[in-house]
Amino acid sequence: MRALVALLSLLFALTAPAQAERLVSQLSNESVEITSSFDGERMTFFGTIAPDAGSEDKFVEGPFHVVVVVIGPTQNRVAREKTNFFGVWLNSGQVEFTNFPSYFHVLSSGRLSEIADITTLTTNSILPESHTLVVDGADWWNGAIFGRELVRLMTEQGLFGVQENGVNFLSENVYSARLTLPSNAPPGPYLALTYVFKNGEIITRKSEGFAVRKIGFERFLALSAVQQPLLYGLVCVVLALFTGWAGGVLFRR
Amino acid sequence: MEVSALSGNLCSFFAAASCKVVRRCSHQHGTKVLQVYLPIAELSVNLFFLVGIGGAVGFLSGLFGVGGGFLLTPLLIFSGVPAPVAVASVTGQVVAASTSGALAHYRRGAIDLHLAMYLVLSGVLGAFGGVAMFALLRDAGQLDLVISAGFLVLLGSVGTLMLIESTRAILKQRKGIVVRERLPNQHSWIHGLPLRVRFKKSRLYISVLPVLLIGLFIGFVGSLLGIGGGFIMVPALVYLLRVPGNVVIGTSLAQVVAMMAATTVLHAVQSQSVDILLAFCLMVGGTAGAQFGASAGKYLRGEQLRGLLALLVLAVAIRFGLSLVLAPADAFSMAVVGATQ
Repeated sequence: MRALVALLSLLFALTAPAQAERLVSQLSNESVEITSSFDGERMTFFGTIAPDAGSEDKFVEGPFHVVVVVIGPTQNRVAREKTNFFGVWLNSGQVEFTNFPSYFHVLSSGRLSEIADITTLTTNSILPESHTLVVDGADWWNGAIFGRELVRLMTEQGLFGVQENGVNFLSENVYSARLTLPSNAPPGPYLALTYVFKNGEIITRKSEGFAVRKIGFERFLALSAVQQPLLYGLVCVVLALFTGWAGGVLFRR
Repeated sequence: MEVSALSGNLCSFFAAASCKVVRRCSHQHGTKVLQVYLPIAELSVNLFFLVGIGGAVGFLSGLFGVGGGFLLTPLLIFSGVPAPVAVASVTGQVVAASTSGALAHYRRGAIDLHLAMYLVLSGVLGAFGGVAMFALLRDAGQLDLVISAGFLVLLGSVGTLMLIESTRAILKQRKGIVVRERLPNQHSWIHGLPLRVRFKKSRLYISVLPVLLIGLFIGFVGSLLGIGGGFIMVPALVYLLRVPGNVVIGTSLAQVVAMMAATTVLHAVQSQSVDILLAFCLMVGGTAGAQFGASAGKYLRGEQLRGLLALLVLAVAIRFGLSLVLAPADAFSMAVVGATQ
């Protein structure tokens, strides 16, 4: 993942054209900590569009549009379809999507279709559907159908979403965006990509990372389950035996 | 999340109201009423809900003397817990729920440890096969089909047999006929097999082959479906091996404790999906509920209890059957393949 971040930022550096504007942005928190009472977390993204250091302009001229894309750690996911086979419903088809984001939210300052054309949005992976274009072992037609359904299922779980009024402009060049990470947000490294659009073109962009991670007792439990699985299992059994015994003693009259 | 569709049906049948409350709580962020974050399942669930379903299923398990895994696993999956985590954590809960009963029977001397040992050894072997099969089916995407069909066949046949038997017993008692228990020394072809071993406490001198076969089968099915298998074990011991009634329940419970303990460790090592916090919440509710269930069971007669359990088992079987035949609410489902972080 870290390699991916590095690669992405390198790509951005290479592709970024000479611009008159630059983006100064900040996240409200660099890490989201999962504690025993974790029930989601509210995050704020804010920034200013300023004249570039080398440019001669003193002011920036809008109107601008800002799109913030938040991507969670990637996983391999399959979408499956049930069909009726002689009266019995069973999974008949499946399409696997490799490196599919486990979390993907788009916040924008207006309708995406009005901010830029679909090609720009798709090539920059701003639309949820753009993650379903790379498909293993299926033709593009099935990929499109299953991909759309997968995005729908993820949206129902609150893991995918598009909020076209998610970014508010406080003045002509200062914006803020709010996002509530749900309690089922998977832990791992996250990327927040901010794009600034003007007349349908991306004029500047910036990527920032933040981490969603378990801390304290939860981190200890999750780590020991992976690092000491045998001991963890034995402790679980001892705990079960003890609870069963204690329950019998406590409630016996 | 393979089993979510069928468990959805199952749960709406049993505990629609309570499940809906939980869903609402987990999605609205204003209501932070004792949410507890489960570190392995990676989501937060209401603490009262966990202890509550643990207690309710524990009550039933204490009442009927079964583990209750066949109710608890689908309930958990419906409340959003991933299927592997639910199956693995429920095995831990079944250990706790069966321990107090097994200890009580042990004190009364109502456990045939020799027989239980044979059952456990073959059961653990079967569990290895079941866990491997579980992974194979999950990758093929046919896990929910096999689980539905397995529950339907297993619960359906056991439930029907139990219902017929208990109805007959109740009717006979109404008419005033003295019910004659089957004698333990009645012989069948099973007793003619080689490799005979003497089980002193059960007053049996039988071949170990059927004993090992029963253990193997229950270990396999139990780890595949995430159940303890007490409701198959008891009839198998009674009707196939002719184990006397005073040691049947105790021996079955001891076998469930040992085999499920081994399965818990197996799941922890293989899939690393045992959520100790989830299991503990269920254990606390389950052991408390089981005590109340056991004392409530004293007011009912044996055949009435068996009749009620038969109805419950049949109801679950019918729900699983319907989930196979009825059109699903959502034809599409998704699952994560391979753990990549």
